[in-house]
Amino acid sequence: MARAGRAPWLTLQRREAIEAWLFVSPTLIGFLIFFLGPLIAVVFYSVSEWNLLSGEQVFVGMANYHDALRENPDFWHVIRNSVIFAIGLVPLNMALALTLALALSRPFRGVVFFRTVFFAPVVTSAVAWAIVWKFLLQGEGGTVNALLGYVGIDGPNWLREPDWAMAAVIVTRVIKMVGLNMILYIAALQAIPRDYEEAARLEGASGWQIFRMVTWPLLAPATLIIMVITTIGSFKVFDHIYLMTGGGPENGTLVLAYYIYEQAFEFFNVGYASALAMIMFVIVLALTIVQLILRQKGAA
Amino acid sequence: MRAAKTRLTVSLLALCLASGPALAENLRFTVWTGNEAHLKMLNGIAEGFEAAHEGTQVTFETIPAGDYVQKLTFQLAGGNPPDLGWMFEDSMPAFVAAKAVEPLTDVLENTEGYDLADFSEPAMGLWKKDDEIYGVPFSTSPFMIFYNKDMFDAAGLEDPLTLAEKGEWNMTKFREVAKALTRSGERVWGFEFKDGQGYDTRIMHAVMPPIRAYGGDAWANGACGFDQPEAVEAIKTLHGMVFEDKSIVPPGEQGDYFSGSSAMTINQISRASKMPEAGFAWGVAPLPSGPAGEAPVIGQAGLVVFAKSDQKELAKEFVAWMTNKENVAVMAQFFPPARASVLDSDAFTDANSLIPAEQMKNVAAAIKNGKVLPSHQRAPQILAAQKPKFDALWRADADVEASIQAICAAIKPQL
Amino acid sequence: MTQRGLERLKRAMWTLSLSVLAIPFVFPFLWMVSSGFKSATEIFGQPTLIPRVWRWTNFVEVFQYQPFAQQYFNSLYIACLVTVITLVLSSLAGYALARMRFAGAGLLMLFLVSALMVPEEVTIIPNFFLMRWLGLMDTHGPLVLLPVFGPHGVMATFLMRQYFVALPKELEEAGKMDGLSRIGIWWRIALPMSRPALAAVAIITFLFSWNLFLEPLVFVSSLEKFTLPLALSNFTDAYGLPLWHLQLAATSLAVVPILIVYLIAQRQIIESFAMSGVKG
Repeated sequence: MARAGRAPWLTLQRREAIEAWLFVSPTLIGFLIFFLGPLIAVVFYSVSEWNLLSGEQVFVGMANYHDALRENPDFWHVIRNSVIFAIGLVPLNMALALTLALALSRPFRGVVFFRTVFFAPVVTSAVAWAIVWKFLLQGEGGTVNALLGYVGIDGPNWLREPDWAMAAVIVTRVIKMVGLNMILYIAALQAIPRDYEEAARLEGASGWQIFRMVTWPLLAPATLIIMVITTIGSFKVFDHIYLMTGGGPENGTLVLAYYIYEQAFEFFNVGYASALAMIMFVIVLALTIVQLILRQKGAA
Repeated sequence: MRAAKTRLTVSLLALCLASGPALAENLRFTVWTGNEAHLKMLNGIAEGFEAAHEGTQVTFETIPAGDYVQKLTFQLAGGNPPDLGWMFEDSMPAFVAAKAVEPLTDVLENTEGYDLADFSEPAMGLWKKDDEIYGVPFSTSPFMIFYNKDMFDAAGLEDPLTLAEKGEWNMTKFREVAKALTRSGERVWGFEFKDGQGYDTRIMHAVMPPIRAYGGDAWANGACGFDQPEAVEAIKTLHGMVFEDKSIVPPGEQGDYFSGSSAMTINQISRASKMPEAGFAWGVAPLPSGPAGEAPVIGQAGLVVFAKSDQKELAKEFVAWMTNKENVAVMAQFFPPARASVLDSDAFTDANSLIPAEQMKNVAAAIKNGKVLPSHQRAPQILAAQKPKFDALWRADADVEASIQAICAAIKPQL
Repeated sequence: MTQRGLERLKRAMWTLSLSVLAIPFVFPFLWMVSSGFKSATEIFGQPTLIPRVWRWTNFVEVFQYQPFAQQYFNSLYIACLVTVITLVLSSLAGYALARMRFAGAGLLMLFLVSALMVPEEVTIIPNFFLMRWLGLMDTHGPLVLLPVFGPHGVMATFLMRQYFVALPKELEEAGKMDGLSRIGIWWRIALPMSRPALAAVAIITFLFSWNLFLEPLVFVSSLEKFTLPLALSNFTDAYGLPLWHLQLAATSLAVVPILIVYLIAQRQIIESFAMSGVKG
């Protein structure tokens, strides 16, 4: 009896496993071919010198990495730009997102209108957004400067001066993407039970104190996730910069994603660009791990 | 019954034989123009070739100019190579070095009635390497000054063409009239760089004409020429015009000549096709002369056959066809020729429906006496290396000489 | 009375500051549409929100300079195709990961999710050679395959899994009793119950594909195969000169329909993104 009862149970389990693998196989196979395979290929590309135009491919060992890390001054300039971009973008984006979320997490007249407005750029194509802002930010004839002129501010030639260009790229990117983080924060805020706040209020805490002592700590997990997403996202930004500044002026907005594209598809240095891609992969991986460790510590 | 069967077989066979050649040759030809008139002319030239080569069909494929080299390279590297195409002068050396284009000398020398010697030597210089011809220029177009005659008349100034006839059209005069025509505050400038892109993609087109007029050069012969006294003087003049006189449309601004916000611009005559819709009287004049006298600057574009094509021989024949005397004369309505015989003919000066023959004579003269823009095997890298340094130069508070030193320092490793 | 007045004043202040803050979010859209009606000269003249001369012809010329209708259609059909395939594959895989017990499920999950950290810039170079080998250069193939199987597809799978996990099991158990196969349960029971998740995946995937830029830039070279974002960045005349007014008219044509759909379905769309963000 026991033996007879056990055999069909095993088959069922095996059958379920086979079915499950069939269910995941289209996704998995595609993933292996179009994602994992290429990811491994980059490693091999990165140790070769390879010109797309002539098609010649030579094994050069670590020369591309050496070139990037030691020889080519552009590389560290690009890393510096990427870091500045992230440092400028992430806190600004998150602070603004949280402020908006706090203002828009409770119902009031017009709340839907404002949420809709602040989220609208998220659904807009980055290309359209960059094209329009490029116009708005022109030197003397630009609309932004014309508007600033009405309140007596003499605006700079935004996209022609390296520091201002970086600032302009960061700010327009924040305006484009802040809506996403805003709704993530709103969702997190709405998940906080109202009792906590009520209790604090009854004890006589001020609005700021409630935020500081109750809301903010409860938001920590959401904050961490948002930080991870936003930071990785900031390293991926390509189209925005490609269209607004093309990495200029004076290479002031040349970030890693754009540099890889330029090396691979404009100068056709496939090997060097692959080494850069590997470096980018390592950076993003390291950032994610650091943030996950922070999360563990926060949870403990 | 049997007879009928045989007949059927025979006629089927005949059908197969007849349709054989018709299946075959399709030449893919990449161009960067999408202009209907251009394409009509090109297709007209192709029809003659198709008539002579039964079963051949030539298709012109437009790739936008801005992405031309990139997309072309993708097609070549991506296993979908076109057979032949247009090529920019500054991309040519890299393509030759990568062996991506075919040598054409044999075919051109052996095509009957082609007369290779008709192409002037300077015009061919860019398209040759080690005595082997890799491309044939189809457009050899000098940079000219386009001016808004209405604006000159309104200001009571003599226009550049008149000044040129009197021999007074030089850099000093150029700076003077540009300043006089500028109305700051009203967004009207005296001069605009080529297509308003002189600070970005057309840096060389902005600085080369004055540099040559002052007797300098950019990066010929493996040395940086920007820091030579002549070039420095030329760049200082431009810088002064942009930031002191404010007579040249500054960086980050749009002062479109074609819509009447700049009195002059520099461009090639193909751009005259934009003039009819501009709605003002206009003219074409030579470049202002400088201390080194007249120094016309020429931009070229050529025809090449790609090494990856599987119909190279046919493609080469088509190049020879397209650039024979007859067809060069046809193309002269849009693209100034490099063939001396066509250049000297009235057909050329009369060919342009927009520019009067008088002014076309200046164009012909400029083609004969002009020098092409500097080129280099690593031109894309050089241009990319100098771009950020030029960005630094084009600022009001820039130290011009230091910026020029920085430009040279940046491009020296590439030379 | 004063207490209520104070409250009202405070609220008015909030609304006012939110309105000021909203300017840079709204203005670009207004400016874009209004400039689409202007001539090139007017765009660079004194900024006005209402065009002095309405140039309707801009919107006609847009279609003359590029095969814009074809490009519009390309974007539309690619986005639909990507959406449908992603829905099917992600819900299949997501269902298996959520409901079925098999060895290696946990590892597979971790493996897939790690893809979310890898920017597409890293894999685009080998994918270029892969697509060349597959003969898919200058076709729409890569624009379908890469979003479906890349990090975005993984995100969709993960989102579906999270949703299935939270669904009550009873109905599925009942289905099993009635003799439904696994695929039957997935199709007849699990999918109908997960409409919100499917809608979320559909919306995000559609927009993702619609706005894709790097992949078309690298893989597509003929004008008539361009997608909208590429076409917009390429509004130049025969000489490579930017046609500002046409570019803005075309940009309006590309953005406004999406914006209208968004305004109609804003709640659903915003919730979709909230779901994907929190869970992905």
